[in-house]
Amino acid sequence: MKEIEDFLRENKPRVKNDPAFILEAQRRMESVEGIKSEVDRQHRRGRVALVVALAAGLAVGVLVTALAFLYPVDPESMADGFWDSARLFVQTWKMYLMVLVAVLAVALGLVLSRPSGAAIRS
Amino acid sequence: MTRERFITELRQQQEPLRRFLLALCGGDDALADDIAQDALVRAYVASGSFLGLSKFSTWLFRIAYNCYMDHCRKAKPQQVDVEAAVQIPSADTADASFRYQQLYRALNRLPEKEKAAIALFYFEDRPVKEISAILEMPSGTVKYQLSMGRQHLKQYIQL
Repeated sequence: MKEIEDFLRENKPRVKNDPAFILEAQRRMESVEGIKSEVDRQHRRGRVALVVALAAGLAVGVLVTALAFLYPVDPESMADGFWDSARLFVQTWKMYLMVLVAVLAVALGLVLSRPSGAAIRS
Repeated sequence: MTRERFITELRQQQEPLRRFLLALCGGDDALADDIAQDALVRAYVASGSFLGLSKFSTWLFRIAYNCYMDHCRKAKPQQVDVEAAVQIPSADTADASFRYQQLYRALNRLPEKEKAAIALFYFEDRPVKEISAILEMPSGTVKYQLSMGRQHLKQYIQL
C-alpha cells in the first residue's frame, strides 16, 4: 500500500498556469453583477408598484368607510340605480370593509418596514 | 465578501481547485476548467452567504465537488480521452506520460466518492476532517473511502 501512496504523492496532476482562467472568471463575475443589478432594479420597481397599490387601496377604503358612517342610507327611500345599489352594498358590508382597510394598512406597514434588497439577499 | 476579496482568494485557490477537478475528470482539462468556472460563478453568487465558519477553500471545494456531481448526473457516461494526459506539461518524458495515463485510467475506474477522497488526501494534502466537510460525509466514511480507493488503485496500477 505504501507504493500506491508514494505513487499518488509523486504524480499529482499538474495544471497549466493559465492567466486566461482568471480573466474568464472575472468576465463571468461581471455578467453575474449585471444580472444581479437588473434583478435588483426589477424588485425595486415591483416594490414601488406594490406600495402605490396598497396606499391607493387604503385611501379609497378609508374614504368609502368614512362616507358609509357619515352618510348612512335608508334602504326604503332608495331607487334602483347603480349608485344607490353601490351605496347600499357599502352600507351593508361596512364592517368587512373596515377589516379590509385594516389588512391593507398592516400589509403596507410590512412592505415599508422590509429592507429594499431583502428579496434578493434571502 | 467583496469582489476584490473573492478574486484574491480565487487567485490563491485556482491551481488546487483546477487540479482537484482535473483528477475528478480523469485528465480532461477542458472539462475540469468548465466545471471550475461553473463552480466559481456559483460561489460568487453565494459569496454573500459565506460566513467564514469554515475555510474559504473548504467552502469553494465543496461547491466545486457539487458542480462535478451535478455534471455526472446530467452527462451521459463517456470515455475520457486519457491520451490527453500526454499533453500535461510535467509529463516531459515518455515515462512520466505513461505514469499519468496509468493514473488517470485508474482514477476513472474508481467510484466518484473514492476518487474525490483520494484526490483531496493525496493530491491536495487535505486532512480527513476537512475532506469530511468538503464531501459532506463523516470522518469514518472518508477513511473507509480512502482505504477502498487505495485497494482499488493497487489492483488497477501496475508498479
